Amino acid sequence: MDAPHTPDEFDAHAARAIRIIESMPGFAWSAGPDGRFIYVSPNTLTYLGTAQIELDPLADVDEFGWRRVVHPDDYDRVADRWRHCLRTGEAYNAEHRLRRADGVYRWFRNFGTPSRDTEGRITEWYGTTIDIEELKQTEEALSERERQLRELIETLPAMIWSTTPSGEPIFFSRQFRDFLGFDVADKDIPGVPRLTGVLNAHIHPDDLDAVNALFARCLVTGNPYALKHRQRGFDGVYKWVETRANAMRNRKGLITQWNGICFDIEDLMRVQSALQANERELSQLVDMVPSHVWRLTPDGEPTFFNKRMVDYLGFDVADTIKPGISRLVVLTKSAIHPDDAEAFADTLDNSLRTGEPFAIKYRLRRTDGVYRWMSSRAEPLRDSSGRIAQWYGLCHDIDDQVSIAEELRLAQERLARSTQAASLAELSASIAHEVNQPLAAIVANSHACHRWLTADPPNIGRAQKTVERVIRDTNSAAEVVGRIRALFKQSAETRHLTAIDSVIDEARELLANEAMRRRIRIEMDIGEYPPLAALDPVQIQQVLVNLMRNGMEAFGDDDSDRTLQVRVRRTIDAIQTEIRDRGRGIEFPDRIFEPFFTTKENGMGMGLAICRSIIESHGGRLWVEKNEPRGAAFIFTLPVGTKAAV
Amino acid sequence: MTTRDHIVFIVDDDIRIRDALIELLESHGVRAAAFASAGDYVKAAKPDLPACLILDVELPDISGLELQKQIAAGGHPPIVFITGHGDIPSSVQAIKRGAVDFLTKPFSDADLLAAIDAAVVQDTSARAKRAELALLEKRYGELTSRERDVLPLIVSGLMNKQAAAELGISEVTLQIHRRKVLQKMGAASLADLVRMAQRLEIPVTHSRRPGGA
Repeated sequence: MDAPHTPDEFDAHAARAIRIIESMPGFAWSAGPDGRFIYVSPNTLTYLGTAQIELDPLADVDEFGWRRVVHPDDYDRVADRWRHCLRTGEAYNAEHRLRRADGVYRWFRNFGTPSRDTEGRITEWYGTTIDIEELKQTEEALSERERQLRELIETLPAMIWSTTPSGEPIFFSRQFRDFLGFDVADKDIPGVPRLTGVLNAHIHPDDLDAVNALFARCLVTGNPYALKHRQRGFDGVYKWVETRANAMRNRKGLITQWNGICFDIEDLMRVQSALQANERELSQLVDMVPSHVWRLTPDGEPTFFNKRMVDYLGFDVADTIKPGISRLVVLTKSAIHPDDAEAFADTLDNSLRTGEPFAIKYRLRRTDGVYRWMSSRAEPLRDSSGRIAQWYGLCHDIDDQVSIAEELRLAQERLARSTQAASLAELSASIAHEVNQPLAAIVANSHACHRWLTADPPNIGRAQKTVERVIRDTNSAAEVVGRIRALFKQSAETRHLTAIDSVIDEARELLANEAMRRRIRIEMDIGEYPPLAALDPVQIQQVLVNLMRNGMEAFGDDDSDRTLQVRVRRTIDAIQTEIRDRGRGIEFPDRIFEPFFTTKENGMGMGLAICRSIIESHGGRLWVEKNEPRGAAFIFTLPVGTKAAV
Repeated sequence: MTTRDHIVFIVDDDIRIRDALIELLESHGVRAAAFASAGDYVKAAKPDLPACLILDVELPDISGLELQKQIAAGGHPPIVFITGHGDIPSSVQAIKRGAVDFLTKPFSDADLLAAIDAAVVQDTSARAKRAELALLEKRYGELTSRERDVLPLIVSGLMNKQAAAELGISEVTLQIHRRKVLQKMGAASLADLVRMAQRLEIPVTHSRRPGGA
């Protein structure tokens, strides 16, 4: 718009200016150098709900005329400012509330610029007032939120801190300040970066390097910071904390701040290290126990061998993992003695299915190839619902004991057998020998005597000598018979009232290992309260061992029904004991009790003869029958009670 | 049977048996000598008479059966075993190895004397045979080497002519040798000589048949 020149142009110009002013959204005004209004735009007056006259100053009460429309709380401040600007000529800029026509106060920003004459004197002030109520509300809301956030951070039970992108600490939350006993700037040393001062004040000297190094790296990379370290609070005691910090970025992705948090892990560390120590101790315990400790899944797959077991076997669980085969099978094939493998697998299988604890003895291969007898026991660990979670087992080396026990048992057996065998055969042999010697001498002497007496002439002298010899030898023969009788008498005295089931139990004990080796189950059917019988337990035990062993030997390797039955029955006046096998049966039932009859390669054939002789000397009977569906039944009776035959 | 021309040896560790048996035998006029162990018997000097050995099976040092085995080679008196036990396998073994009898104590005098008789008869005959053989061997030893060459030829039935040809001598020379052989050997006939040759186990290496050797 060109500057006006003519009066009409001036008028038009003025009119235009007024229209512009009056159509502006803000309020326009002008005031004199004394600060009183000269002009107030119509929309202002409409807004305020006053006429211009009402904005005239009122001496003493209303210096500038707008006391009534400015909020009472703001008036003094605004008036002071206005006065200051009037005096100094500074541009006027103030925020205050104005009262609307309806009485509602709203915030406004008031701008005023002085207009000067050629001498620099202020001639008039021109101003604009803009409604900033919404802006203000927003500002206040923001401010409130900021306050709340700050309060949040302050009240959070966490040690929170912030640094600039270059790592200068700028904020510690209340918790942190309370903990440290100092604030961000309190440790400032001139010439030293603030961060250094802060860290040195509270980080454990041994961890300082790590903290510095990691933080420096994070500042460069922008990656999150995380570190466990020790720091001390105002009480001077170092504690373990975990510090984590993230970079805060603006909309362009540039880091504007680092925000971090420290949380106390002292207890956690203590618990962890206690746990670790405990774990080490337990692990040591498991490894040092002088037994093998092992663990299986509910399916029987090995998952753990203790160190002793690993050292013994020469391999660990990991070595049993082969494609396509179960670990248990690998273990069994590599380490269990082939003769024991089946029994082992069967027993384990049974336990896995039924959940019953298992106990089994077997030979385990040592790393040098030697097999040793082990006694293994395992029990299931159940979870809260009763399901099996793991099987835990212990495997104990009993090889020495087994060898000794086995040797002892064999020695005892041999002794028993030889004594037994000797007792009858040797007895009869020694009787024969001892008696026959003097008898033969007697016979020869007698005949000689007869010859001397019938000679021609009779030789009385020599006859006499022979008779003396006969007398002497007869006495010696009588003595022998007496001794033998004494022997028998003694054995009758070793009989006493005994319960047959205890004798059977002992016999079973003696044969337990052999039964296990032959995979034969001995089934007992004793019945309740078997009556007592007068018997020599050693002899009857020998009979039982003999019959039971015979029964076991009757089973061939292929027989599947491997049960040996021992039954005790009561008859009217006797106890009847039956030993029934399902083996190959008796080929010569009529001859087996004969002395020296045997179908065995290394048999002497005396066993059954002796058994029968023992039973008969007890007043009982021993015989054999066919067992159904196959096999043999050896049956003997013993008289009940005190009836004991001599 | 005269009572002086044989002796019975008794080996038994039981003095009662030894004394009783000596008594019995002497009452029958039979000479007897007793020993307590196999060793004692073997070591003792024994008279050169037909004899019988009554041997107990159960001896302290070695069993009677073992002794039988050990003296089998030598030329020993026939054995009559006596035993207090009497198990069958031992008796079978004893008889198989040539014992005369196997008696179990107490045995009757009749059985014992019968066994001794049989043994002595056997031993007498054995001794005679041995003596005879010894004589033959002596006589054979006195033959010249040429005569020893002739002997197998004539006992194999070769004719004088063949035998002479075999040796490369004249028939006449051969006949001289032949007569000498018969005379020195004390053979009454060719058949006799043949029997002697068999006893001496001289191999018959030639045969009358052509191409035979």
